Amino acid sequence: MNALLYLSWNSARNRFLSAFRRVRSPRYAVALIVGALYLWGFLWRPANQPMATGFLLSQPSEMLITLLAVLTLAGPWVFGSDNLALAFTQAEVSMLFPAPITRRGLIGHKLFRAQVAVLINAAIWVFVLRRGGNLLPSPLRAVGVWVLFSTLNLHRLGAALVQSSIKAHGRVAAKRNLWSIAAFGFVGAALVTGFVVNRRELLDTDGIGEFFVAMAKVLAQAPASIGLWPFHLVVAPTFARSINQWWHAIIPALAVMGLHVFWVLRSDAAFEDAALEASEQRARRMDAIRSRRSIVVPKSSLAAKTTLRLKAIGHPAMAIFWKNILCLRRTAQLRLLLGPAGMAIAFGAALSSGARDFSLWVTATAATFAGLLIVFGGRLVRNDLRHDMLHLPLLKAVPVRSSDIVLAEVASSTVPIVVLQLVVVVIAYIASFGTERIWLSPTTRLAILVGSPFLMLAINGALITIQNGMAILFPAWIRLGSAVSTGVEALGQNVLAMVANLFTLLVALLPPTVLAALTFQLLGGTHGQRTLFVLWTPMLVAAVILGLETYASILWLGRALTRAEPLQTT
Amino acid sequence: MISVRALTKLYGDFTAVRDVSFDVGAGEILGLVGPNGAGKTTTLRCLAGIIAPSSGAVAIAGHDIQKDPIPAKRALAFIPDEPHLFDYLSVEEHLRFIARLYGVADVETRIGPLLDELELGDKRRSLPGELSRGMRQKLAIACGLLHDPSVLILDEPLTGLDPAGMRRMRATVIARAARGTSVILSSHLLNLVEELCTKLLVLRQGSAAAYGTIGEIIEAHPSLASKSLEEVFLTLTASDSVAG
Repeated sequence: MNALLYLSWNSARNRFLSAFRRVRSPRYAVALIVGALYLWGFLWRPANQPMATGFLLSQPSEMLITLLAVLTLAGPWVFGSDNLALAFTQAEVSMLFPAPITRRGLIGHKLFRAQVAVLINAAIWVFVLRRGGNLLPSPLRAVGVWVLFSTLNLHRLGAALVQSSIKAHGRVAAKRNLWSIAAFGFVGAALVTGFVVNRRELLDTDGIGEFFVAMAKVLAQAPASIGLWPFHLVVAPTFARSINQWWHAIIPALAVMGLHVFWVLRSDAAFEDAALEASEQRARRMDAIRSRRSIVVPKSSLAAKTTLRLKAIGHPAMAIFWKNILCLRRTAQLRLLLGPAGMAIAFGAALSSGARDFSLWVTATAATFAGLLIVFGGRLVRNDLRHDMLHLPLLKAVPVRSSDIVLAEVASSTVPIVVLQLVVVVIAYIASFGTERIWLSPTTRLAILVGSPFLMLAINGALITIQNGMAILFPAWIRLGSAVSTGVEALGQNVLAMVANLFTLLVALLPPTVLAALTFQLLGGTHGQRTLFVLWTPMLVAAVILGLETYASILWLGRALTRAEPLQTT
Repeated sequence: MISVRALTKLYGDFTAVRDVSFDVGAGEILGLVGPNGAGKTTTLRCLAGIIAPSSGAVAIAGHDIQKDPIPAKRALAFIPDEPHLFDYLSVEEHLRFIARLYGVADVETRIGPLLDELELGDKRRSLPGELSRGMRQKLAIACGLLHDPSVLILDEPLTGLDPAGMRRMRATVIARAARGTSVILSSHLLNLVEELCTKLLVLRQGSAAAYGTIGEIIEAHPSLASKSLEEVFLTLTASDSVAG
């Protein structure tokens, strides 16, 4: 067997067996049962009637998903190299890079390893989409989704290779990769032109549904459709409505995937050629590659040029919070929030008929972003124990109570998210007075404004405590580290994790919601009383109850952290 | 300063450390030696409060590490063989972080001399990714020494250090012990152990094969007289050991 194939197969098998052996521990066994029930309920439970997922397979969705794929892939082109796409493990770097294996072989190995994630996510999406209709057999849909995700993965890797080549060898590499840069530039230009030329269609809509249908229409006609054409070819088999349509779609999709394989390997060849022409840079780069944990060279000390002051005396847990805020400033976690921001802008535009009503657009965008931060914020900003469990020996050796460590870690992610949310809530509040189309009374708006700090803190704190709890209780099943899987192909796993977290939050929200409703009734809210006090007090009650629940959970998790041992994470 | 009684650590059915007892007084340096897998790191981790013993008791500076962990941990420094550093904190920020955790009020006056002593003075703003393996180890040592611990636990402290760094580290350990610090030093470098340590604990398959000064160990095992420390070590840790 090929050595790289042997490595991939045995690594996957051993990882699975190791995770499965954890089930002997009671808490992992319970988690497995809960997880299995959840998967059954979410994915396998027989569907008596077509669910709302039907819209996912509609014609407008097909074009919008194509656009989403392009936007996802735009990341490496707009923001530079995609570190995750190129990263190798420490063992791979120390064993494979000095081994007599071609660089092309290494890239092939990387692609093969990525197939595990691609297949898992493809399977999740096939189950999700099967409720949208049974016009196409699941195996054919599965092949379509696999081609889509594999191509997206190939594109991310190709873009990362081009970017790293440019970064290392400047103009020479840029010249060699000109065609791929130009191709993506053309796609962007076609989309922008399409939206500008057909802007009336978007502006004349009324309501969210109409807006998205109009947007899909704009994308389906020239010039946007010309730019989207190769991407649409890859998306088409997933949305095929008959076997015949699928056969017509799959061959071009496979061709595009094949072109991507060729492109990735050609980028690789160009990388080597450029490296030969700039041998000095190449030597330095390869030296860096061989001495680092990943092939992405870490940031320089320039990143540490500015710092935050930390007094030597005070509560020691504050040091952990300080450290994590510096981590947030020096890593790219906040950049990931651009995704939800983009969604909020699109949703705001849809609500305000293509931003015709500017104040409504700002209000809707800001309010949506605040809401999306609750859903995505804690998943994307992992500035807490999901990162620091890798430093468990150090954390356990310091003279700080375990519950204080958990509290500081939870606060490290919660506070930045809440601060961002409050900024956008204030923006939404101010902008709401510039439009006639906000149905909430000024008093209600003010109540939301003054209630937000407490509610946001309580809800985000609870959500992030849940995620930190997972890292403490199930370190062997949770991916630790600051990196989060991104891209459409990782969406399936992220959606599952997000729904699980929200479900847990809903359970936690039950007592505060009931008590807040009772308070509202006691204060006469149900009899028409709508003063600031009547509206705000129940919010405060809910926030305090949820906060107390969260604090009790943190104390309990502190005891769990005391019992946690580094071996569990290694 | 360090008191260990009947320390046992189990991982499922596997006994990593079995019924180990020893004491390290103020100014003493205990050498912890044993072959790979003998339970040295597990013992040190139990002492540092990183893992909980399955049974037995560990007291650091008079505080039980399990029942009264905060004052116990405040008194000790654990320097592991593999430096645990944060990728995104600079050298100086690591020291400020530690200063806050341990409440070092005069951190400003300590940082400069400590970094100069460890030849990290010109690396204050550097991130760990820019440091060599030896420099990262020096930073971990600086973090351990910053709060002037009364108990120092060192797991292979010379790993990655250059000859000058090794000499300086040896001098540091001797100086700290002379000022009353209790030191436990785990190392495979037997000449280092012989040079620095006042007492020796030999672990074999999780149990204490020998404990005491070199003289006391020879007295307990007369057949080891006139043998080098390496020969003593190999004899004590052999599967059909003379230890008893």
